[in-house]
Amino acid sequence: MTAAAREEILKEVARLIREVVGEAWIEEAEIGLDTSFSEDLELESIEFVALGEKLQSRYGGGVDFVGWLSGKELDEILALRVGNLVELIAQCP
Amino acid sequence: MPLIETNGLRLNAVELGDGRPVVMLHGLLVGSSASWYFTSAPTLARGHRVLLVDLRGHGRSDRPREGYDSRTMARDVVGVLDAMGFGGPIALVGHSYGALVALRLALEWPERVEKLALVEAPLPPSRLPDLQAFFALDRSKMAEALPQVTRQFLDRRGRQADKLLHTLAELSFETSLLEDVRREPDPPDAELARVRDPLLVYGEQSSCREVGERLARVMPGARLVVLPGGHNLHLDSTAALTASLEGWLRG
Repeated sequence: MTAAAREEILKEVARLIREVVGEAWIEEAEIGLDTSFSEDLELESIEFVALGEKLQSRYGGGVDFVGWLSGKELDEILALRVGNLVELIAQCP
Repeated sequence: MPLIETNGLRLNAVELGDGRPVVMLHGLLVGSSASWYFTSAPTLARGHRVLLVDLRGHGRSDRPREGYDSRTMARDVVGVLDAMGFGGPIALVGHSYGALVALRLALEWPERVEKLALVEAPLPPSRLPDLQAFFALDRSKMAEALPQVTRQFLDRRGRQADKLLHTLAELSFETSLLEDVRREPDPPDAELARVRDPLLVYGEQSSCREVGERLARVMPGARLVVLPGGHNLHLDSTAALTASLEGWLRG
């Protein structure tokens, strides 16, 4: 996958995060590959669930977000960064 | 997924996976569909259609002032099942007060429940360990009665802590939740005996553990599993709880 394609996915993931949070501050917040969902963005767990649903409906069955989560421990999930999601999407057909 | 209108309010539910239906209910206050979404649900969703319901007042569901008794909440869940096309019998899992809602649903709508798993169901409900501690605390001390992972958020004092404290304060002081839980009746043994072959899961260190022994005595064919951990077994013993639930679904 090209850097440009990854950049596209990052933009899309950032857009979905802003949609889920729906508060003024997130419009200004910088969202990059290194941005952590919990530490930096301080997403609530229920917002992360909503993001998962949005990813699933945006990318369909090709991106197995739930299957990907099933292999992770809770502290790994809490440590996730935007780049981890971009990577997941980039690797899917 | 759009919110579901039922019982005069809008409720949120999250669906994952495909296969035979499994419905999972969370505990009160800090619980939501996320409680199962980040623990057992993804594994169960490999072979099942899993539905996680945000109970009234929790997650992204509406937060009405009243109706936090198990009967009203069970009716909410039935409304969600109808709206989502879960018409046939389901496998139903509940944690803590969500287990009491699940139990109530199984007693009132036995035709809707094929099998029942109760994780840390507290009886009588007013003895719910988290809540008991909660009743005694003033607002500033509430955080100490919460699960470890929740406390980590609170310690950082950022947005997650603010949102969580706001939710806790609203549920505790602006709804009838605590009062409804206090008033929730203890089901008599004869009623409990109508539930057959349930899976009962309790934590070794939980103050509810003796309840598991009572239910195992009273409910015919019950299987009691005791796992390492306290009341919040989905956090304390995630892998073992998930494995128990998988075995129960296969059996």
